[in-house]
Amino acid sequence: MLTHGFRIGIVLVISLFVSKPCLGGAIDVFDGQKGTIKIAGGTAHIPVMKEAAKRIMTRNKDIVITVAGGGSGVGIKQVGEGLVDIGNSGRKAKPEEVEKYGLKMFKWAVDGVGVVVNPANPVKSLTKDQLKRIYAGEIDNWSKIGGVDHGITIYTRDEASGTRAVFWGRALGKGEITTSALFVPSNGAMKTAVANDPHAIGYVSVGHIDETVAPVALDGVTPTLDTVKSGQYSISRGLYSNTKGDPTGLTKLFIEYLLSTEGQQIAAEKGFIPVK
Amino acid sequence: MMRVFMEKMVEYLSWALALLLCLSVSVFLSYLLIKGLPSLGSELVFGKADPLSALLGRERVFDGIFPAIIGTLCLVVLSTLMALPLGICSGVYLSEYATPIMKKVVGGLFDVLAGIPSIVVGLYGFSVAIFLHHHFSDRLGPCLLISAISLGVLVLPYIVRSTQTSLEELPAHIRHTATALGATRLQNIAYVLIPNALSGISSGVILAIGRCAEDTAVILLTGVVATAGVPSSLLSQYEALPFYIFYISSQYTSPAELSNGYGACLVLLGICSVLFMVAHGMQKRLFHWALYRP
Amino acid sequence: MRPSKELLAKSVFLCCAIASAAIILAILGFMVALGIPLFRESTFSAIWSGPWAPHRGAYGIWAMISGTFWIAFLAAMICLPLSLGMSFVISSLAGRRVRKLLGALVRFMTGIPTVIYGFIGIFLLVPLIREGLGGPGICVLTASIMLAILISPTMILFFTDSLLAVNAAYVQAAKALGANRVQRLLYVMVPRALGGMASGFILALGRALGDTLIALMLAGNAIRPPQGFLEPARTLTAHIALVKAADFDSMEFRSIFACGIALYLFTILATIAVRMMARERVAVS
Repeated sequence: MLTHGFRIGIVLVISLFVSKPCLGGAIDVFDGQKGTIKIAGGTAHIPVMKEAAKRIMTRNKDIVITVAGGGSGVGIKQVGEGLVDIGNSGRKAKPEEVEKYGLKMFKWAVDGVGVVVNPANPVKSLTKDQLKRIYAGEIDNWSKIGGVDHGITIYTRDEASGTRAVFWGRALGKGEITTSALFVPSNGAMKTAVANDPHAIGYVSVGHIDETVAPVALDGVTPTLDTVKSGQYSISRGLYSNTKGDPTGLTKLFIEYLLSTEGQQIAAEKGFIPVK
Repeated sequence: MMRVFMEKMVEYLSWALALLLCLSVSVFLSYLLIKGLPSLGSELVFGKADPLSALLGRERVFDGIFPAIIGTLCLVVLSTLMALPLGICSGVYLSEYATPIMKKVVGGLFDVLAGIPSIVVGLYGFSVAIFLHHHFSDRLGPCLLISAISLGVLVLPYIVRSTQTSLEELPAHIRHTATALGATRLQNIAYVLIPNALSGISSGVILAIGRCAEDTAVILLTGVVATAGVPSSLLSQYEALPFYIFYISSQYTSPAELSNGYGACLVLLGICSVLFMVAHGMQKRLFHWALYRP
Repeated sequence: MRPSKELLAKSVFLCCAIASAAIILAILGFMVALGIPLFRESTFSAIWSGPWAPHRGAYGIWAMISGTFWIAFLAAMICLPLSLGMSFVISSLAGRRVRKLLGALVRFMTGIPTVIYGFIGIFLLVPLIREGLGGPGICVLTASIMLAILISPTMILFFTDSLLAVNAAYVQAAKALGANRVQRLLYVMVPRALGGMASGFILALGRALGDTLIALMLAGNAIRPPQGFLEPARTLTAHIALVKAADFDSMEFRSIFACGIALYLFTILATIAVRMMARERVAVS
C-alpha cells in the first residue's frame, strides 16, 4: 500500500518536473549543474548506477558521481549517517530504519533473486526443501540430488546484503545457513565465483544472471526476467534508492533520471524490470 | 657416515627449496605477463577516450585505468608529502639529539607502529573520518585526504627508522670533522651528516612510496570506490590501482574486463618494482651530485 | 643570532618527534577509548569467544581469531623451509654470481604488491588446489601458500643477514681446520645466527598475521573455525574489511574494534619478543 502511494507520489513529482523543460531526453536537466553525488550500498544496482553515472558524467564534466558497493545494509546506514547522498538497497528499508533516519525510498526497478550453479553442473532443478537442506549443510554432496559425486560448495553473502535478506526470508524460509559457507561481497562477485567453481551453488540478482552461470528452477519455475515479471517466480524484490529526507539538488535530479524514460531503459538493458 | 649423508642432504635440499621458490615466482610472473601483455596499450589506460584530451582533463575516461592511476598517484604524493618532513625531522632528532632513554621509548613506539597491520591503521582512519563527520562537518567522511593521512601514518616508521639508522651509521671521521673545524651542530647536520646519509634516507623514502602505491587494506576502509573518475578535491572519493585489481578479481563482468585486470597488475607491478629496485640500487654519489652540486 | 637558530632547529626536530610519537599513542588511545565497552562483563565473553551470527544478535569473533592463527602459522611453516633453503644457498652454498642473482630476485620479491599475489592466487592456484586436492579450492591452504611466498623475502633477508653477520674469524678458523662449506654453515654459522633468525621468523609471522588481502581474496571468509587445511576460514583482518559499520554504537562496530585490538596486541607482543631477542644477542656478543 505504502509503496503504491509512494509510486503515485513520485510519478506526480516527476510529471511536474519533467513536463516543463523537456520530454525527449531527461538527461538535459543536468546541463549547467555542478557538484558531487555519492552513491553506495546495494550491489545489484551497480551496473545501472555505473551506466547512469557514465552518461551523466560524459554529458556534464562538472558533475562527479561516485559509486561504491557494500550491500543494502551499508547503503541504508551510510545514507542515514549522511556519509553518502544515495544509499541503494535491494530490500525495503525496515520500519525502524526509516524512522531512525527519516529515509525516503524510491523504487525504480523490480528484480528477482535466483539460485545459480555452474553451467557444467547437471543439476538444474531443485525443490525448496532440497535448497533449504543444502544451505543448512544437511545435503553436502551433489550426488544426493542427481549430480556428480562431489562436495557442494555453498556461497553466501554477508548480513548487509539485501539479496541475502530476500533469499533467506523467501527461499530458505529463514532457515539456517551453514557456517562453512563461503562469503562473497557482492552480486557481481557471486556470479564470478559460481562461474569459476564447477561445484558451487549460490544466489544472485536475476538481473545479473547471464550465460556464465546457470539458473536453477525452484519448485519447477526457472528464475528469468519473464517469470519474475509474470509473478510465476515468487522470490522477487524491488530495487530501491534511498535518501535521507526528501532529496534535493543533484540527488533529486539523479533519482528523477532513474525514473525517467532513459533511466528505465538503462534498468531494462541491465536485466531488470522497469517500474514504468 | 650418517653425518656426511646429512650434510649432503642439507645441501641438496637447500638447493631444491631455493629452486622451488624461484620457480614459483617465475611461474607467477610469466603467467601474469602472458595474460597481461596483450592488454597493455592505450585502451587499457584510457578506454575509448582520446589519450591527449584525457590527460588534459577535457574528456572523462570510463573503461580504462586512468582514473585509478591518477588516484594512486595523488595518494602517493599526498601521503609522502605529509610523512616526509615529519619523518625526517623525527629521525634526525632521534639520532642526533635524543637521550638514550628517549631513543629507546620512542624507537620502541615506531617499531610497534611498523608492525601494526595496515587494516588496523585503516580502521583508525575510518573511525577518525566518522568522528569528524559527526562532530565537525557533514562534508567530511572517508575521502582522499583521510586515506592519504592514514597511509602517511602507515609509512612514517619507515622514514623515521631509515633516517635514524643511516645517520647513526655514519663513521666517526665524518661525524666529527666539521665540528672540530668549528661548525655548529645544526651546520654539521645540514651540510655534512644529512648529505652523507642521503642514500640511506632516500631508499627509506622510496620504500615508503612503494608501500603507499601498493597498500589496499588502508584505502579499502578510507574512501576508495569502484567508480569515481579523476579525483576533483581532497574531500572526494577516488579510485586506486590496487583496489581496481582487487575489485576486478572478484567481480569482472566480461573477459575484456578481466584482461584489463591483468594489465593493471602489470602496470602496478612495474611501478612498484621500479621503485624498489631504485631504492635498493641507490647510488650515493648520484644523489649527492644531484642535490649538492657546486 | 646563531645560538637561537640552533635552538629553533632543535625544537623543530623535537616537535616532529613528539608529533610522530603522539600519532602512535593517539591510535592506541583511540583503540582503548572505543574498545572499553568491549571489556564490560556482559559483552566480554560474547565477543571474544562467541559465534558470529548477527541475525541472532551474536557478534563473537572467536572463529576469526582461530582462522587468523591457522592461516598465519601454516604460512610461516610453509615459508620456513623455503626461506632456510634460500638463505643457505645465498649465504654460503652458491658461488658469487648465483648469489648476486638470487639476492636480486629476493629484493625484487619485496616489491611485488600483495594484491597481485591475491590476483594470481585466484586465477592460478585456486583451480589447481580444487582439482588436485578437492574441496572448494578457496581455503586455508591456498591462502597460506600465497602468504608464505609473500612473507618469504622478509624471512630470507633476515636469515641471510644474520648468517652473514657471524664473525668471519670463526668461519675462517673452521675453514683452516678443513671444514667444507656445508659444515661451516651448519656447525659454525647457524648456531651463532639462531637469535637473528628467530627474530626474522617472528617478524615474518607478524606480517602473515597482519595481512588482509590474501586471506580476503583466497580463504573464502567462512565464519567457522577451520577444521582442516582444505576448509575456508576468515581472518580478523578480512573480517574488519568485510563488516562495514557506519555508526559507533552498533555491535558490529564494537566487534570490529575487538578485532583491531586483538591484532594490535599480537603486534605489540611480536615487537617485544623481537626486541628482547635483540637485547639478548647484544648481551651475548
